[in-house]
Amino acid sequence: MRVLAVLLLLFSISFAQLKVIATYPWIGELVKEVGKDRVSLYVIAKGTDDPHFVVPKPSHIAKMRDADLLIVQGASLEVGFLPPLLQQSNNPKIQPGRQGYLDLSQFVDLIEKPVNISRAMGDVHPEGNPHYQLDPHNIPPLAKAIEERLCQLDSPNCAHYRGNLEDFLKRWNARLTEWDREFAKLKGIKVIQYHKLYDYLLQRYGMVLVGTLEPLPGIPPTGKHIEGLISQAQGVKFILQDVYHEKRTAQFVAQRLNAKVVILPHEVGAVPEAKDLFSLFDEILRRLSQ
Amino acid sequence: MLLLSIFGFTFAQDNLEELKRQLEEQRRQIRELEKKIEALEKQKPEATKEVKKEQEPAPTDRSLQLRSKYDERLKALQITPTSQRSFLNLSLIVDTSFVARNKNDREFKHLEIPGLYHRHEGNGHGHGTLNEKRGFNLNYAELYLYAPVDPYFDLYATIPFSEDGAEVEEAYAVTRGLPFGFQFKVGKFRSSFGRLNAQHPHAWDFANPPLVYKVFLGDDGLKEKGVQLNWLAPTPFYLLFGMEVLQGENEQSFGTEGFKVNTKDDGSGTDITIGDTKKPNLYVGFVKTSFDVGNLSFLTGLSFATGHTRIDHLDGDHPHAFAGKTKLYGFDLTAKYMIDSYRDISLQGEYLYRDQKGTKYEYDDSTLETDELKKKQGGFYTQLVFKFDKRWRAGVQYNLINKNDVKKNGVKEDLPNNLPAYYAMLEYSPTEFSRIRFQVGQNRAFFHDGKRETVNEFILQFNFAIGAHGAHPF
Repeated sequence: MRVLAVLLLLFSISFAQLKVIATYPWIGELVKEVGKDRVSLYVIAKGTDDPHFVVPKPSHIAKMRDADLLIVQGASLEVGFLPPLLQQSNNPKIQPGRQGYLDLSQFVDLIEKPVNISRAMGDVHPEGNPHYQLDPHNIPPLAKAIEERLCQLDSPNCAHYRGNLEDFLKRWNARLTEWDREFAKLKGIKVIQYHKLYDYLLQRYGMVLVGTLEPLPGIPPTGKHIEGLISQAQGVKFILQDVYHEKRTAQFVAQRLNAKVVILPHEVGAVPEAKDLFSLFDEILRRLSQ
Repeated sequence: MLLLSIFGFTFAQDNLEELKRQLEEQRRQIRELEKKIEALEKQKPEATKEVKKEQEPAPTDRSLQLRSKYDERLKALQITPTSQRSFLNLSLIVDTSFVARNKNDREFKHLEIPGLYHRHEGNGHGHGTLNEKRGFNLNYAELYLYAPVDPYFDLYATIPFSEDGAEVEEAYAVTRGLPFGFQFKVGKFRSSFGRLNAQHPHAWDFANPPLVYKVFLGDDGLKEKGVQLNWLAPTPFYLLFGMEVLQGENEQSFGTEGFKVNTKDDGSGTDITIGDTKKPNLYVGFVKTSFDVGNLSFLTGLSFATGHTRIDHLDGDHPHAFAGKTKLYGFDLTAKYMIDSYRDISLQGEYLYRDQKGTKYEYDDSTLETDELKKKQGGFYTQLVFKFDKRWRAGVQYNLINKNDVKKNGVKEDLPNNLPAYYAMLEYSPTEFSRIRFQVGQNRAFFHDGKRETVNEFILQFNFAIGAHGAHPF
């Protein structure tokens, strides 16, 4: 028994780094901040991907096989690609319900939770709007949630994770005060967005959403809908355009409304300037302030 | 006597009065209860509201403690990935088509591919032959169920309904907790042989299965009762090994049930009995690997299947039967280039080879002939599919069977070995849940009475899915 314990200890030391998989880059950034050199990280999606349409490549399965922790955004955002990957990963540790599965959507208050749901309403998520990473105030509790889970899985390094978290929160909260001050200047401006992607940011800073280019979530713009939108919208300053959808519709609407198309990163890596979580919000602010 | 009866009568009447009184009393009680229930029901909505309020985790409070309690509750429920919060994922997939073809249904039914395929009346349930008739077809309405059984198993079932009935196409459990990268599957399932076999018809890129699948594995593919054990190797790239032990009842290449054949076609001769194969009958092995080069992903695999064969078509128009052994080899390769989230180009191909040996029983002028038969046959399909928009895909598929060596008693038969088929499709998917596909094709593999019969075909296919969100295919 003692020999076994020693062997196990040796085993765990030789594989000291905790293997973490994050579905999206921004989650990966949080893992980097909290875990630093004690974790090895693999991120499934790219920053430029449409988060709803990530290809379930078999190469991801190989990475998931030995993972200790899988961190997901949740709220059905990954429903199109994660279940088959998880099922084929042959890894009991990261299955939903186990300690190695962390769903971050449980640590934020999701908005736009539908009262009743039907596919006739488009791609509506029953849990609410899943793009909650764009409210910078949501980041600290999520960092804390990741720190807690890392501590549970890897208690010898807990002090390390706690230290990293404190350091991160200090830097984040400092920036948060600045962002709050700067974003406050945008309060009340009217915007149109392609998909309901930036709602958390808009709600946090009191920007007014006039409409979306999509008639229903996940359904591409139609002529009729766009005409309706143009006839109703007045005083729209920005058309918020994500990096992965077509940009012609936004340009057309902007021209008609005398508004400006702003390509806004939704995610770390969506545009080259958004290198990490800090620069993501810096860049969003910069692009909205011009 | 009379007195007694009168007494009895009055007693009965007394009793009746008593009963009436009791009934009235009970009616009154019921009315009172009804009133109470009504009153309670009026209060109920408020009461449940209060309970709900208590159950909901405090919304504005970001306290981790509350959330982790919630987490615990979810853990107890063993929710499915990415939180579709129900115990059962259920979906219904309906596939219906319009077909135009240059052969009428009777002609089409009697076409055969020499040495490889002829139509035998099956049970007609399940998927069967897709797009079989001219005009409108209801190919299937398929019920798909999935849920974790408990922390140890996931259960899947696929039940396609046709107009004639239903079939349990798949019903199997998969482990979710085996260590060291192992996974075990038990039940009835689509074998992981090859690339396309494990996919459901609605996930195929074309309306019909490729020619090599049709001739070697049948219109339904290789789906069998049995077990599978697979192991995901701890390599930085995807490497999967697997083996299956299956019953082996496939109608094109395997089969387990023996038969009795008479030396005279009128039954006046002596019976020859061919016994059942040993059961289980079929063994499958496969290895699959995948790696990425930038935005280009490769998936390739080798498959092998071996088992005994029993084919009993003694009740057909041309009575014949076969008993022997079959080996199937498969090689598949997929290369997919991802342009962005919505666009990709995918090149996919599979080569299948069959090595079959055995005895054929056939009547020649009312007497039974037994011939030693050796078949070495092979062919492939290759397809290019371009998803050029979020909603649009276009593709072409080329099928060819280029090896069809059949030796009867050591003498090579003169069979065609250039059997091609070509298809092209254009697909429009308004969402992930609906699809409209136009397909045109020419099949030059079919023969009738030794003459090649070219089949030209146009298919307009509609596919709809409701219920749980299915995963996107690779």
